[in-house]
Amino acid sequence: MKWTIAALAGCSAAIATMFVAAAQDWQAAPPSAPEARLNNRSAAFLATVERRPDRELYARGRLIAMGGGGQGATGSTCFVCHGPNGGGDSTGAFPRLAELPGWYMYKQLGDYAEGTRPNAIMTPIAKALTAEEREAVSVYFALSGAPGRNQMPQPPADPRRLQWGAALVAVGSAERAIPACVNCHGSGSEGIPPSVPGLAGQNPTYIATQLTLWKTGMRKNDPMNVMGAIAVKMTDEDIQAVADYLGRLPWSSPVSEGVPPTGVPRAQVR
Amino acid sequence: MAIRLPRTDVVIVGGGWTGLTAAYELAHAGRRCVVLERGQFRHTVPDLQSPAMHDELKYALRYALMMDTARNTLTFRNRPEEIALPMRRLGSFLPGEGLGGAGVHWNGQLWRPLPSDLRIRSHYTDKYGAAFIPEELSIQDWGVTYEELEPHFDFFEKICGTAGKAGNLRGQKQEGGNPFEGQRSDEYPNEPMKQPLATTLFGEAAAREGFNPFPMPSANVTKTYTNPYGAVLHPCTYCGYCERFGCGYYAKADPIICVYDRLKGHENFTLRTQSTVMRVNKAPDGKSATGVTYIGDDGREYEQPADMVLLCAYGLWNVHLLLLSGLGQPYDPATNEGVVGRNYAYQTMASTRVFFNGKHRFNPFMGAGALGMVADDFNGDNFDHASLDFVGGGYIAVTQTNGRPVETTPIPSNTPTWGAAFKNAAREHYNSTLTITMHGSSMTRRANYLDLDPTYTDDLGRPLLRLTFDFPDNDRRMSRHVTAQALRIGRAMGGSLVEQSERASDPYSIVPYQTTHNTGGAVIGTDPKTSAVNRFGQLWDQHNVFVFGACLFPQNIGYNPTGSVMGLAYWTLAAIKSQYLANPRPLMGGSP
Repeated sequence: MKWTIAALAGCSAAIATMFVAAAQDWQAAPPSAPEARLNNRSAAFLATVERRPDRELYARGRLIAMGGGGQGATGSTCFVCHGPNGGGDSTGAFPRLAELPGWYMYKQLGDYAEGTRPNAIMTPIAKALTAEEREAVSVYFALSGAPGRNQMPQPPADPRRLQWGAALVAVGSAERAIPACVNCHGSGSEGIPPSVPGLAGQNPTYIATQLTLWKTGMRKNDPMNVMGAIAVKMTDEDIQAVADYLGRLPWSSPVSEGVPPTGVPRAQVR
Repeated sequence: MAIRLPRTDVVIVGGGWTGLTAAYELAHAGRRCVVLERGQFRHTVPDLQSPAMHDELKYALRYALMMDTARNTLTFRNRPEEIALPMRRLGSFLPGEGLGGAGVHWNGQLWRPLPSDLRIRSHYTDKYGAAFIPEELSIQDWGVTYEELEPHFDFFEKICGTAGKAGNLRGQKQEGGNPFEGQRSDEYPNEPMKQPLATTLFGEAAAREGFNPFPMPSANVTKTYTNPYGAVLHPCTYCGYCERFGCGYYAKADPIICVYDRLKGHENFTLRTQSTVMRVNKAPDGKSATGVTYIGDDGREYEQPADMVLLCAYGLWNVHLLLLSGLGQPYDPATNEGVVGRNYAYQTMASTRVFFNGKHRFNPFMGAGALGMVADDFNGDNFDHASLDFVGGGYIAVTQTNGRPVETTPIPSNTPTWGAAFKNAAREHYNSTLTITMHGSSMTRRANYLDLDPTYTDDLGRPLLRLTFDFPDNDRRMSRHVTAQALRIGRAMGGSLVEQSERASDPYSIVPYQTTHNTGGAVIGTDPKTSAVNRFGQLWDQHNVFVFGACLFPQNIGYNPTGSVMGLAYWTLAAIKSQYLANPRPLMGGSP
């Protein structure tokens, strides 16, 4: 059995090398093995909620995502709306979960349950999950490989608005005293685990909706209300510009990039 | 030949806390203000934004936001009989440059003085007898009282959205605040910061040892807050990049977001950056100033005529300008006469490290400039000095300001400072070591003063300022006594190793960083023989020149200076608005 895995590993390493060397075409790359991600320190850190995730926790998380948790009894599964790998849907009602920090998602589930992030769909689901189930399913989606860019169809955006969005994301606005998104969300807006979610490649409609919820005080699950203070200074045009730009940003994460599918050390792959 | 510009009502030298605040207040009082800032224009957006700002090497070690010593510096010696040499690199203190001044890279530790600090000679004389004060000290009363300054301390705390807990609210002692502080007219505008493990353990140990710990008053704001000028500040994210950095989050109060942004569009306000003031010009009869001469951003020399001149540069450079302009009589330590340059003081710092060898995980990277717990029991005259042989004191605190990777290597003193043993020790102790700081007062004496250097000049050919300083023995005795208390708390915390590091070196060294709290040189007072300005910060002989900043301190208190600097600034501005503008003249006595 062992030699079979080793042989397979070597084989996929070779395939991966081909793709890496060829065109960095992650869409066509074979999906990474969860095992390799669990063995990667950075990916595991991204996913960690309370303890370093292992195969068992990941497998439980996958089961819950498919409806095997407490929420299953209510007829709710994660994958129906968010996709089996947490890719989200094109409406923006259901955000991409793949590669968001595990602790961040775990906290959001708690906030849905407690009502600081009220949501008619998610609140009953979160309430039906135990704390252990929330941890497991958060770990699962954090470790779900994603293609590194938003693949949902997007309506064309006004280039001038995109440029304004880029300026707000990267620099902020001195006129309206808005700090840059990258201040906290990372230079590529890829997020800073465990507590700051990635924004790059997130669905623009979802981002715009959330900023509006922060702005109006509907969403208030940030203990110091940093996001509320920022969003209230943004106009609707600012919000749409930022959302349009962020939604088009590719991102890199330790899950989808730099981790060879078989867990072979990076140096050997290259 | 200087290019003569149209006259303005007020010319303000320096665009930091005091200069921008003076411009705000006087522009709104209907006076046209021109602010001349020698450094660059800079703004929270885009210049202070992360992740570019979170560059320890560039900002903390290479001083990107500070004064460029290749262009302007000072010379230094310990004693008058030595030859002073230029300070060619920053070290002991870090003056700022550019819009916002040092107010951009401060920590945000925002204190008021004790009432007794402001009448120190009278207080010690009344309580312990005149003979108690050591002969060598030239300490003196400020000529302005805590009660007079209180509304102005309060207002500046509101400008900064200060986070803290009152200990004395209108005479009523408050649980959880500083029991030694003077009466406050109001509570702090925001609740204290959230304390992490290290500062909490310190507070608990200090309380067990009989001290009265409380959260440090902080200009790192704890919730969304609108200040009296209408500036909106955001909650601090505890990122650990305050001191030596600018805050990109609108969370650490600084002159740009708190004042400049609310002033910039005003019709009475003009800002000229990269404009170095060469001198204040005197009228032919010497009784007033006519304006200033400066080198503008195009390298040309300009004369800016003005009805009033406000000196709002960093304290040291205010003294430099007074000396270069022939305003006030320069101090001569040989005869003990003259006032400009007299009574320079510093800050007497010491620290104690407590190692826990992995027992706790402090996560020092979660920090903020004024995040800490303080015991004020051994500051000022909060403790009985009768059996002691010194004046003054200091606060004892644990602050969790940062855990930045290059400089955060707390290792026991017997560890090699290089190689594998160093690396292993740095790894072992990084996350389980804390530092207790002793932040002490600094008394003045005849031999510590500022004057013009006879040899060295700056890039514009002007004599450099010369600093002559060593810690008075009084301050070393004070430091030993207060540090012993810090050690007592350190041992009570149960660390595996408690080590003291004396920072008031003998003699004083200008090389290792201590603190950017240089005071005195143009001190406030009621006697023209011992003070450069009257109790409103106004020059005795040229009534249309007002001086701001820590150069006004007759000696240094045991606290960080910004709160006192700005209390005095608002006091002076209140006097200008209520008494001076309508009838320009030397101001005497009375309150504004």
